[in-house]
Amino acid sequence: MRRDTFQAIADPTRRDILARLSHQSLNMNSVGEDFDVSRAAIYKHLKILTECGLVTIEQRGRERYCEAKLEKLNEVSDWIDQYRKVWNQRFDNLEDYLKELQAKDKKNL
Amino acid sequence: MTQEAKKPDLVITREFNAPKELVYKMWTEAEHLAHWWGPKGFEMEIAKFDFRPGGVFHYVMRMNDVEMWGKFLYREITAPDRIVFINCFSDKEGNIARSPFMPVWPLEILNTLTLEEENGKTKLTLSGGPINATDEELQAFKDMVPNMQQGFGGTFEQLDAYLATM
Repeated sequence: MRRDTFQAIADPTRRDILARLSHQSLNMNSVGEDFDVSRAAIYKHLKILTECGLVTIEQRGRERYCEAKLEKLNEVSDWIDQYRKVWNQRFDNLEDYLKELQAKDKKNL
Repeated sequence: MTQEAKKPDLVITREFNAPKELVYKMWTEAEHLAHWWGPKGFEMEIAKFDFRPGGVFHYVMRMNDVEMWGKFLYREITAPDRIVFINCFSDKEGNIARSPFMPVWPLEILNTLTLEEENGKTKLTLSGGPINATDEELQAFKDMVPNMQQGFGGTFEQLDAYLATM
């Protein structure tokens, strides 16, 4: 089962939950208040959000509090950087290799 | 709208001091591909190389005890100008897998490679972006950016620029 930031934010209810938690951490039972979704469904979304690392749940006395870890969202923009870096390195390699091949060719002529 | 009809999402260009036929060969012959595809220091071994539309290139890169499997799935091939392929990490059996080092790397990336020759030099253009499930995921992100932006300041500027091109 895939669990990542992209998946976490793909669902509108999960985005609502994150938006709500971005202002304050909340008791698990009140996270889904006023949402038109069952409590079981909210728990399921929270489970996915915690598995993706976007929400942490902390026991405080008898209650469980949910807190958003929004810095995780940076990962979505980070992959663009990584993607560029990987290809640029690859093309450096290709450039070197082409030079090598062409130098060999010249020698053989 | 199909994936292919979309505007390219992220574009990287590079000019090589070599004729187009030769640059093209670097992509279409396993022996050459193995020389430059992997990061420096990694040894590349080819498990399968089937260069045709629908064909698969399955490989492993090794350094010490680190092993990274990867896969291409070729979609379109127009020699010697254009190759469209999906690239992903995989396991030994060739199933799509997460990147071992980058947990949020999109599972599958659709790449379009184009080559243009001018005065003996070849301009390579690679455009790519996540496909399949991640397409919808990016849409979700697009919806979300304005709401979340307050808290993150400038970190989304780059992403905005990226999404604007989609």
